[in-house]
Amino acid sequence: MTPRHHLNEATLVSFAAGALSPEMTAVAATHLEACRDCRDRLAHAERIGGLLLGQQQANELDTARRARLRHEMLDRLDESTQSRRDGTIQTRSLDVSPSDPDGLPQPLQAYFGPTWSALRWRWVAPGVHMIRAAHTSRDTLLLLKIAPGKSMPVHSHQGTELTQILQGAYDDALGHFSPGDAADLDNETEHQPITAPGMPCICVAAMDAPLRFPGWLARKLQPLVGL
Amino acid sequence: MSSIETHAKDAGYWAGQMVAVSCKRDRDSFMRIYDHFAPRVQLYLKGLGSSEAVAEELTQEALLRLWQRAELYDAARSGLSTWLFRIARNLHIDRVRREPQWVPVQDALERLDEPEDAGPSPAESYAEHADLRNRIERLPATQARLIRMSYFEAKSHQEIAGELGMPLGTVKSCLRRAFLRLQLGVRRGA
Ligand SMILES: [Zn+2]
Repeated sequence: MTPRHHLNEATLVSFAAGALSPEMTAVAATHLEACRDCRDRLAHAERIGGLLLGQQQANELDTARRARLRHEMLDRLDESTQSRRDGTIQTRSLDVSPSDPDGLPQPLQAYFGPTWSALRWRWVAPGVHMIRAAHTSRDTLLLLKIAPGKSMPVHSHQGTELTQILQGAYDDALGHFSPGDAADLDNETEHQPITAPGMPCICVAAMDAPLRFPGWLARKLQPLVGL
Repeated sequence: MSSIETHAKDAGYWAGQMVAVSCKRDRDSFMRIYDHFAPRVQLYLKGLGSSEAVAEELTQEALLRLWQRAELYDAARSGLSTWLFRIARNLHIDRVRREPQWVPVQDALERLDEPEDAGPSPAESYAEHADLRNRIERLPATQARLIRMSYFEAKSHQEIAGELGMPLGTVKSCLRRAFLRLQLGVRRGA
């Protein structure tokens, strides 16, 4: 699975800077997990950050304070030499093994649970099921499952919408999107995805402004999306 | 501004100091790194919105991690300032993310690319580092400003757009151009 649609450079810079919302971060990380190409570009974005950090013009703190901090650091070097081996690197314990085919991508597990089989889809429109993550910040995070061969309504975006395809596929004016691909869209994009035949298309989407759907689906979807 | 003086002590110099910390647990080398970088990390964290006290605390924490994890440092894979940037950024994110759902995904991603491939030689990466620095200095003013706001104020594109009175799409395409310009000279990872 080599993705063909990637994260926008602006998104990578924000990811590197730690400026994306947790929801956007979760979707971007899902793509990054699947995409070596974007991980290389992210490494470049982090190099830029490191370089800018080194170029900061450090204004002198008052010297007494600096000296105190310096002293404190020296003391802590001693103590940490002794306790260095008791696991300074903590990894979050996983509920499912990364190789389990039932496991959701790791960055999504905190929002949607560990497994595909435990997902509780809600019907929102014919052929459309959805799960909206609870406990989000200002942004919205959705899992969407759209039946095969279905045309979604034309919609546009006020803000940024970041989508990662997890299963199935769809086509729109921007191309063919299949598992591993990211659709990193902003407010200039208006699109009408049509899902591929065969299997439902499942994707995860984060958005920082409400979607605008025209017509009847708007009235059905928007209360659920939270307008 | 960026004088010859600061350039002299550059990527290669700091990587050398860090190798001494990593291989010999050399305290003098570590304290040279500390003296140079601690004020800069602190300034960076303050820019991200931390109070003076929090910035100070996280800076100490970041430098201490450098000491504790020194054996993981690989000069061929990343410059010292890049490594420190990532540590400081991750500490900052962990501090501000109060959401119960938050998982530090950055750490997990870093583990995906453990060095299976040899990577560039240190000399190559110093040359790249110097090249990248030149490119940053030559960015057009607006692009340079947007890049700095993105990294040092950790502002969302929407916030930057609002603050500069620019349309969101313009901010993003401008950042995109800046990034591509900074990427030109970089040999793509295979
Ligand atoms: Zn990608």
